[in-house]
Amino acid sequence: MLTSIFKRGAIAAVALAGLSTAAFAQLELKIMAPAAPGGGWDGTARSMQQALTASGIAKSVQVTNVTGAGGTIGLAQLIGAKGDGHQLMVNGFVMVGAILLNKSPVNLSQTTPIARLTAEALVIVVPADSPIKTAKDLAERVKADPAKVTWAGGSAGGADHILAALFAEAAGGDAKKINYIPFSGGGEALAAMLGGRVTAGISGYGEFEGQIKAGKLRVVGVSSSARLANAPDAPTLKEGGVNLELMNWRSVVAPPGLSAEQTKTLSDAMEKMVKSKEWAEILKARGWDDAYLGGADFDAFLKAEQARVAKVMTDVGLVK
Amino acid sequence: MTNEKLARGPDRPALLVGLVLLALAATVYYDASKQTITSNYGLGPTAMPYVVCCGLVVLGLAHLFVAFREGLPKPERADGGALLWIVGGLVGLIASIALGAGFSIAITILFACTARGFGRRALVVDAIIGFVMGLGIFLVFAKLLTLLLPAGPLERLFI
Amino acid sequence: METTLSLLNGFSVALEPSKLVFCLIGVFLGTAVGVLPGIGPALTVALLLPVTFKLDPAGSLIMFAGIYYGGMYGGSTTAILLNAPGESASLATALEGSKMAKAGRGGPALATAAIGSFVAGLIATIGLAFLAPWLVEVAIKFGPWDYFALMILAFVTVSATFGDSPLRGMTSLFLGITLGLVGIDKLTGQARLTFGVPELLNGVEVTTLAVGLFAVGEALYVASKRYHAPEEIIPIKGSLWMSKQDWKRSWAPWLRGTAFGFPIGALPAGGAEVPTFLSYSTERKLCKYPDEFGKGAIEGVAGPEAANNASAAGTLVPLLTLGLPTSATAAIMLAGFQQYGLNPGPLLFAEKPDLVWGLIASLFIANVMLVVLNLPLIGLWVKLLAVPQPWLYAGILVFATMGTLAVNASPVELGMLFLFGYIGYLMRRYDYPVAPMVVGLILGPMAEAQLRRALQISLGDPMILLENPISATLLGLAFIALVAPFVMKGLNRFKAEED
Repeated sequence: MLTSIFKRGAIAAVALAGLSTAAFAQLELKIMAPAAPGGGWDGTARSMQQALTASGIAKSVQVTNVTGAGGTIGLAQLIGAKGDGHQLMVNGFVMVGAILLNKSPVNLSQTTPIARLTAEALVIVVPADSPIKTAKDLAERVKADPAKVTWAGGSAGGADHILAALFAEAAGGDAKKINYIPFSGGGEALAAMLGGRVTAGISGYGEFEGQIKAGKLRVVGVSSSARLANAPDAPTLKEGGVNLELMNWRSVVAPPGLSAEQTKTLSDAMEKMVKSKEWAEILKARGWDDAYLGGADFDAFLKAEQARVAKVMTDVGLVK
Repeated sequence: MTNEKLARGPDRPALLVGLVLLALAATVYYDASKQTITSNYGLGPTAMPYVVCCGLVVLGLAHLFVAFREGLPKPERADGGALLWIVGGLVGLIASIALGAGFSIAITILFACTARGFGRRALVVDAIIGFVMGLGIFLVFAKLLTLLLPAGPLERLFI
Repeated sequence: METTLSLLNGFSVALEPSKLVFCLIGVFLGTAVGVLPGIGPALTVALLLPVTFKLDPAGSLIMFAGIYYGGMYGGSTTAILLNAPGESASLATALEGSKMAKAGRGGPALATAAIGSFVAGLIATIGLAFLAPWLVEVAIKFGPWDYFALMILAFVTVSATFGDSPLRGMTSLFLGITLGLVGIDKLTGQARLTFGVPELLNGVEVTTLAVGLFAVGEALYVASKRYHAPEEIIPIKGSLWMSKQDWKRSWAPWLRGTAFGFPIGALPAGGAEVPTFLSYSTERKLCKYPDEFGKGAIEGVAGPEAANNASAAGTLVPLLTLGLPTSATAAIMLAGFQQYGLNPGPLLFAEKPDLVWGLIASLFIANVMLVVLNLPLIGLWVKLLAVPQPWLYAGILVFATMGTLAVNASPVELGMLFLFGYIGYLMRRYDYPVAPMVVGLILGPMAEAQLRRALQISLGDPMILLENPISATLLGLAFIALVAPFVMKGLNRFKAEED
């Protein structure tokens, strides 16, 4: 019975997808999402799978999931797959923090960096009836009494938390004293904002977009270097007088010990992928911003981010 | 009645549960005392462990007390052989996943051993049933949900 | 009136043949995956997202909604037949449902679950259509202190699952709370009780514990007493269908379950578990046949199942009105909206009324499809219990491990599953109830996190719990529920002495 349900579903799903099988390339890839199916990294991995096969860059792409510990279990497995030129792993800014927080024995320096793919700006918002209007107003309050400014955001040590800490430092306040309240999932943090329970909230721009446009939340600043294309009215933090920039990026890395040729094959595949129209369609559909950065530039970028996160996490007392 | 009980000594299972609970409380306490990072405001990460620890101590002592009174309910006799087969099947499953033998073989072992534990004497037939089931499930997951169950050499032939 | 018109308009969208096909595919897929433990609607929708993004938005959103409702139906089937609650919200259903199934009353149990889900889904979807804007205003007023008070109320009701001995019940509960401490502390990011094992950082999965204690533990227990006290499973005894008496005993629990499920589901951090627990203990208190509880009382299936489904509809209230995803599935549905450039919220109702009302109308249709689909299947499902015992239990174990293998196939996770299975066996042997342990694991971390958030906002002042009317009321109710039994006992004794 069960199988027949599955079969019917399968036929329908395949028919719906109208999958094309126009793949001529020989490249066979395995992409690991170091998180459970359904999460953000998993979404990136499956989107890559879709773009790589549909555009014919790769002959086959398998997505595997390795769950646990902010992705560090997957990272350890990747590092164990030394010299495997067919393996990639999705990772991102959050993993840099998780490695430190979990005192992980492995870290990103042990991998072969391939490319940064996407980036999302974070946004700091306040409830519409808050007296705080600009980033400067908020900065003054944080400086005066950090305890009274309650922040709502995602998990401890994640991108939101790090932005709050960097904001306090940029404002001249004590990052150690920030009153940051982690909520599980964007919905709960958003509810706390709308209910007026907290002073300010931090999240990816997309998560707050509906409420910002509906006028229930006010943007104090976005964390990108320039204003966002889909929100030209929202000022950057820099414009608001707080010198701060932070992007929540996602990238792919490969196992250590690859030959120069193997690395080049993977890098080329990524470069071709980000230029494909399939990838452009996916970015548009998912609301991701292209932030492709490959080769030595990405290598240097990764090192700089690692150093920055390590400093903030120590400052804020998350790592001792 | 009470004398009779005392003559037989304390109820072993209750005594054991009591000691395990106290040991667990000690572990929770030790772990909490090693925490270095605290919250700036409100309760820290150690408050709850200490509360849990107190609860476990009370429950542990209550079990020790009970051990000298009525004790735990007397269990029925257990069929060790049956248990051993099933536990063997479960261990076999973990081993085949850990060693990379793949989903189908893991399920074959689990199915055949469990059926044996429940008294069937047709290990080969059950193994075949388990294998067909395992491979079927693997393919349904891989093809329909694009979800890859642990793959061994055998499964790789199909993907 | 305006709402009624919009809804009728929505039906005209949802009743298009192509939309009906999407809805049907959705409920089929949802039921199929809902049956598998550990693989729920959230995962299915997530996996289908990339496949569907070229499709018509209304069609695929209707399909996702079908998967969502279908998953809720599927979960109860395994809980009742195999005593393997595949998700935490089916836990309460498994308690009485599996007892009924073993006594040959699997048919009525499945029927009351299906019809209860239908009734609850129907009422809750009406609530979603007509009350959503108002309800959501109330829902976002809930602060961490209010959630903490709600958790405490839920905790008080756990004693309904304790069985004969308060000591053994409390022990089971505390073991669960202890397990809840394992992993990264949500508020400081610190590891607790992980002993340097990285796999433990994510904590103990509720499904791992529930499937281990219930399904694996029971298989071991039944096998261990196979020779001297063989378990008898009666596939069908009496009618396959609900008797007149069953109907009489079911309708009120359905309505009460809905009354718990819908509003709590609409709360941003309410969830589906708390209402099922509240419903279970309420039914136990109100039941005219209290002796049957623990042996297969139909009220214990009807209430929690209705609560479970009503909360699923409740979750859609903040999602559609505010764009607040409050469950894993809702978060994925939100991603589904966003891939078409749609942002749920007040604007969406104004900008795309066809789509929103079409979706709501399709929820009604999905509900009807599900009950039509499920009722005839009951006869087939119950036949599963006629499979020879060795194969039945071997199949249950395969089934139980499959979910874990699909989501997290690490030897550590599997090891935990079987360790919990062995603990479940020992607990059954010495007559410890297993349900409180799972409840402790679910509620413990939620209560802790909400209390600490509340105190962080109040800068450490505990009075915040009593200063707010909602939390003060809920704590008052919890207190009454806690002391009332003792007071009643005292009064009865007093009366007895008077006589």
